[in-house]
Amino acid sequence: MRLLIVEDDREAAEAMARALAEAGHDCALAFDGREGLAAASAGRFDVLIVDRMMPVIDGVAMVEQLRARGDQTPVLFLSALGEIHDRVAGLRAGGDDYLVKPYALAELIARVEALARRRETGSVQTVLRTGDLEMDLIKREVRRGGQEIDLQPREFQLLEFLMRHAGQSVTRTMLLEQVWDYHFDPQTNVIDVHISRLRSKIDKGFDRAMLQTVRGAGYRLEA
Amino acid sequence: MRLPRLFRTTPFRLTVLFLALFAAAASAFLAYIYLATVGEVSRQADASILKEMRSFQTLYRQGGFNSVNRAIIERSAGGGQFVYLLMDPTGAAVSGSLAASPVKHFDNDRDWVTFNITDQGPNGGLVRHPARGLEDRLPGGERLFVGVDVGRSESFVVSILRALWGAGALVLVLGLLGGLLVSRNVSRSIGNLVAVIDAARTGDLHARAPLSGSGDEYEELARGLNEMLERLERSVAGLRHAGDAIAHDLRSPLTRLRARLEAAMVETEAGRADPKVALRQALEDADGLLRTFAAVLAIGRLEAAGQAPDPTTFDPAVLASDMAELYQPLCEDKGLDFEAQLEQGLTVRANREFIAQALANILDNAVKYTPCGGAVMLRVRRRASGDVEFAVTDTGPGVPAKDRDRVAERFVRLENSRNQPGAGLGLSLVAAVARTHKGHLEIDEGPGEVDGHGPGLRVALVLPKAG
Repeated sequence: MRLLIVEDDREAAEAMARALAEAGHDCALAFDGREGLAAASAGRFDVLIVDRMMPVIDGVAMVEQLRARGDQTPVLFLSALGEIHDRVAGLRAGGDDYLVKPYALAELIARVEALARRRETGSVQTVLRTGDLEMDLIKREVRRGGQEIDLQPREFQLLEFLMRHAGQSVTRTMLLEQVWDYHFDPQTNVIDVHISRLRSKIDKGFDRAMLQTVRGAGYRLEA
Repeated sequence: MRLPRLFRTTPFRLTVLFLALFAAAASAFLAYIYLATVGEVSRQADASILKEMRSFQTLYRQGGFNSVNRAIIERSAGGGQFVYLLMDPTGAAVSGSLAASPVKHFDNDRDWVTFNITDQGPNGGLVRHPARGLEDRLPGGERLFVGVDVGRSESFVVSILRALWGAGALVLVLGLLGGLLVSRNVSRSIGNLVAVIDAARTGDLHARAPLSGSGDEYEELARGLNEMLERLERSVAGLRHAGDAIAHDLRSPLTRLRARLEAAMVETEAGRADPKVALRQALEDADGLLRTFAAVLAIGRLEAAGQAPDPTTFDPAVLASDMAELYQPLCEDKGLDFEAQLEQGLTVRANREFIAQALANILDNAVKYTPCGGAVMLRVRRRASGDVEFAVTDTGPGVPAKDRDRVAERFVRLENSRNQPGAGLGLSLVAAVARTHKGHLEIDEGPGEVDGHGPGLRVALVLPKAG
């Protein structure tokens, strides 16, 4: 994937670029809003990673201008401002996701990949497929290898999110935000327990486990 | 030269301005009264003189010169308000109370004159009265002068006017004194406020304006100022406390992390340790740090703001059932009974995220400290007072009564919980959430000791009723 990092803290930007390159992505860097705007207009990127507070043109203004030109590239905002209204302001300006500093690099990578994937699967799907796992969103049925799996409503939502991001790492915070709609850091292993229940339902009795734990990051559904 | 401070105050200036206006108006009023009254007095005098003169003319026509002469002698002797002088056609005095006519050049016509009568005053001295007089020719060619003393009426008016002037002067003096007094009082009230503001400006937020108890607008102003300073002082203290807390809590884990990395580097260089283990450990430390940092920041922001941001109105049972659904599997995994009793149809106005976070923290604690075989209950209900209560009761070891007030303080971790993960911030955040929603946090004993469990702990977040 081609990514553009717009961040005035050069050291942080370079560390991010190294970690994303390690994960197999190609990164370009810009160090203020104007450079970022120029770079975003010049090249084609899959995801823009934009710091909210920057000199010259700040992140929100930059993304607003970008959106005004009709550029729909997904944007992940980075910010030291974690209040809900800051988050809302960022998303209203045209951001697609919001990550509060300080963050774990694994979280950043997982969210960037999720954003890029969201763009690819823009068409409305009624059936999701990952390997031999099949989810019918209309009938609300899940089958693995033709065998029906009975899921609670929340387990269904959890699996849907994992299937939409199959092959990518998703973090516990992402799950709490996307599946439960709460924006706080779970202190204990609440999410882990839900995952392990889901795992016992979809993997039990099959010789290959699909739902895997990614150390230091979260979980990944493998086809 | 500058006037003394007291004379430069606004109330004093206003007093002077009003007194000047008053003096001008009073002077104009008095002048008008004087002119009107004096005019009236002289008109009346003229009328009475004319009447007297006419009566002599009539007497002359009826009784001739002699009867007039007789009447003049009689009336002059009788006192009265008039003075007379009867003269022959050449102007030589015949009879009357005057020695000579005040009309110097009589020109055969009615001649009016204003003159002075010299009289014996009450204490023996000579007193001069202003007088009006008229000289006319009688039908036989003789001349008659009739005058009237207007001094008495006029001096009456003058003395009243003098009294009025005196009263005016008194009003001016009293007004100025009153102005000074008001100005001094106002200066004192304002001076107190200014002193407090000056103190606050130079960084002393402890200063408060004294309240007089009079309930006037100065007291209202002072009370407003005091409340503002109170709030400011609290936020500043909150920020300072947050800063201290962050420094305190991040310093020790950072030191630990650094030491671990340093030791790992030495050992790895010596080929005695696997760097991966040290890195993994360091990563875990860093994650813990980030969590602590986030919690401290959240508490600090809440306390500095003084109130919860972005409140919305929602059903507490819906939020609590979300939390129940989130925590139930965790409880079951740990071998705990989990039950939720949620009263439906209530509303609270609060920040949904912070309430969720607070409930999660309370549930985290309950799950963490309750041993296998115990129970955790989440309850939402409306109290008789109308307040909404979120309560979590567990059957863990509980908290001794003497420590209950302390557990919600920052970074307080009781001895027996030191081996559990966490930074000791969970309940402080709950307390901050309660405070900023104008609610409170209650920590009590749970259901008591049953079958080797308990006595347990009941933690309740109580929010005031919406609206």
